[in-house]
Amino acid sequence: MKNIVDLSIDFAGIRLSNPVFTASGTCGYADELGEFMDIDKLGGFITKSISVKPRKGNATPRMVETDSGMLNAIGLANIGLDRFIEEKIPVLAKMKAAVFVNVAGTTIDDYIEVTEKLAGENAIAGFELNISCPNVKEGGISFGTDPVQVADITAKVKKAAGDKKLIVKLTPTVTNISETALAAVENGADALSLVNTFTAMVIDIETRKPVLANRTGGLSGPAIKPMAVYLVNKVYNEVTKNTDVPILGLGGIRNAGDAIEFMIAGATAVSVGTASFFEPRSCERIVKGIEKFCQAKNISAVRELTGSIE
Amino acid sequence: MTRPFLFSVWNRIMCDDGSKKGIFEAKVNSNRCIGEGFYRVNLGFCGDGARLFAGFIPGQFVEIDLSGAPLPAMDKIPEKLRDASGRSIILRRPFSLADVEVCGDVVNIEILYCCVGPASLRMMELKEGNVVSVIGPLGNGFDIDKNKKVALLAVGGMGAGPLQHLARELAKIPGMEVVAFAGAQSVDRLPFEKPFGDFSARPTLCLNEFSKSATKSIVATDDGSAGFKGFVTGAMESWLDSCKAEMKDIIIYCCGPEMMLATMAEIAEKRGIDCQVSMERRMACGIGLCQSCAVECRKKGTDETFYKMCCKDGPVFDSREVVYTL
Ligand SMILES: Cc1cc2nc3c(=O)[nH]c(=O)nc-3n(C[C@H](O)[C@H](O)[C@H](O)COP(=O)(O)OP(=O)(O)OC[C@H]3O[C@@H](n4cnc5c(N)ncnc54)[C@H](O)[C@@H]3O)c2cc1C
Ligand SMILES: Cc1cc2nc3c(=O)[nH]c(=O)nc-3n(C[C@H](O)[C@H](O)[C@H](O)COP(=O)(O)O)c2cc1C
Ligand code: FES
Repeated sequence: MKNIVDLSIDFAGIRLSNPVFTASGTCGYADELGEFMDIDKLGGFITKSISVKPRKGNATPRMVETDSGMLNAIGLANIGLDRFIEEKIPVLAKMKAAVFVNVAGTTIDDYIEVTEKLAGENAIAGFELNISCPNVKEGGISFGTDPVQVADITAKVKKAAGDKKLIVKLTPTVTNISETALAAVENGADALSLVNTFTAMVIDIETRKPVLANRTGGLSGPAIKPMAVYLVNKVYNEVTKNTDVPILGLGGIRNAGDAIEFMIAGATAVSVGTASFFEPRSCERIVKGIEKFCQAKNISAVRELTGSIE
Repeated sequence: MTRPFLFSVWNRIMCDDGSKKGIFEAKVNSNRCIGEGFYRVNLGFCGDGARLFAGFIPGQFVEIDLSGAPLPAMDKIPEKLRDASGRSIILRRPFSLADVEVCGDVVNIEILYCCVGPASLRMMELKEGNVVSVIGPLGNGFDIDKNKKVALLAVGGMGAGPLQHLARELAKIPGMEVVAFAGAQSVDRLPFEKPFGDFSARPTLCLNEFSKSATKSIVATDDGSAGFKGFVTGAMESWLDSCKAEMKDIIIYCCGPEMMLATMAEIAEKRGIDCQVSMERRMACGIGLCQSCAVECRKKGTDETFYKMCCKDGPVFDSREVVYTL
């Protein structure tokens, strides 16, 4: 008989059935993946970024495939807070996974408004603060590259979040990610998401124009995985190791092996983004794969993997 | 024998609120070249895949995973695609269906494609018996309006696939006159099975794929090497000039380059003809997760625009609502 593996984890004080989350912007608002997999098999669910007002998003082309990756410049297109509350919260309320609403804005007040309005919703466990989107002109990444601003916005949004948890999602496009990570942790972040996409560009050599209408975009997918694993390990070693702040590791995860690699590097849980586009059942398969790995290695609880790097 | 069955299955699926799309393994039945750079691949489904694909509506599409297929030998890859062909792909690719055939418990679908990059080059190497992963059926197909008397198909490039499929469905409507207008740069760029018939400019049964469903066709080539000299849109305008039907009884269905769709939309608008266009966008997922496939649309009665998703809200749109990018 196979040994039983405890897949559950403690994530910033919340008990999750397993360490696999969806990544913001890659799985819709609520049940879009439901046609392909059982979303109750997820540990956590992170929604598309929500802003106060609806956002149209950028002009097309918004996406181009690159070697083992893709570049996107969606521009935080979303239905806005009011429609989100009316149409999506009731669907999210039925989900077994812990739900985190990803929050975006152009001013700090925008972030606070979204957070305050949702802080009372029973359907959600917390928020993911998106201060790392490379594809919008104001807000987004501009808050996330400066430790002083990271500290300020984290503290204010944490207050607005009441008793809900706050994950701060960081951009890898900085000189030293430990500085922004530390600023978030010292100002009340309950968890860190590492990483958002890498700012990048693809040029058409015939026309000499960037392929994306936005000129630049965010690189995601397997191409970024080694860089993301490195950053998770760096922040784990330099910032979170001796705290109770967990890291949600992401960037290029497409199978259980990738997820386990992030956990060994220091992540408590992982998010799957781009992989859901080409294999919509990725999350479910990764949960199963992690379990099999643990069985084969006689690991009794998946949490033992976190930070087990030699 | 198959069609009545098709419609009964279709009704059942549409009434059922269970899943209407899924991920299926399809077996390659055949994959053949029908002219320089043009291929037709035939894929077979059984079980749930067969059940869902039996109800496939013309204009819907599938997402195929070609990342695991091998590349053709270098000497089979056109020079201009060699650099791009080496790129390792991860994303699936969208393709429309040129035909759906129900054979008992098995449903076979056919895709018309051309080689333009790393994924379609890999498609070329699929062999009988290979298995590929297919997501579908996806999107909203053409809306077949049974009250119309004349249906005109504007076919550009790989738009030939879905419009052949549509022609087959339209042919079942009693009294409906269907004419396909197919364009290419020159006669050897026509993505149809040879031998061709007579190309005189009047509607003839010159293209096998359309004549199979008794649909007449008019060919237009940019260089005049066959049929009407000029674009499909010009050929259709001159046909409309001498057409006796009332404009309100005509409907135009288009699939092809966006420039052609934009011109058709203008012609249709000017003459008061209903027109549906099938749009193409780069798609990362094809299933409504990523929002990369945005199509700019007008808000009715205003100058305001917003984005619809090509994969979910389309790919077929009313020609009047789209803001074309040229
Ligand atoms: C709904 C839909 C239905 C389609 N049906 C068919 C079909 O039946 N037969 C067929 O041959 N092709 C069809 N296509 C196009 C097909 O998806 C592309 O040819 C294919 O993705 C090319 O992949 P590749 O890796 O070979 O080339 P890539 O390297 O991905 O692309 C080759 C070139 O085409 C451009 N390109 C690729 N995809 C698009 C797009 N969607 N819009 C605009 N430019 C693009 C790229 O910029 C590049 O220059 C369809 C596309 C859509 C969106
Ligand atoms: C199409 C697309 C849209 C995204 N939208 C968002 C978003 O709205 N908010 C956000 O915080 N991150 C967004 N991301 C970033 C992902 O959540 C994730 O951080 C990144 O893609 C790296 O993970 P991956 O390689 O597994 O995709 C988006 C990524 C993609 C590819
Ligand atoms: S291709 Fe992803 S939403 Fe349309």
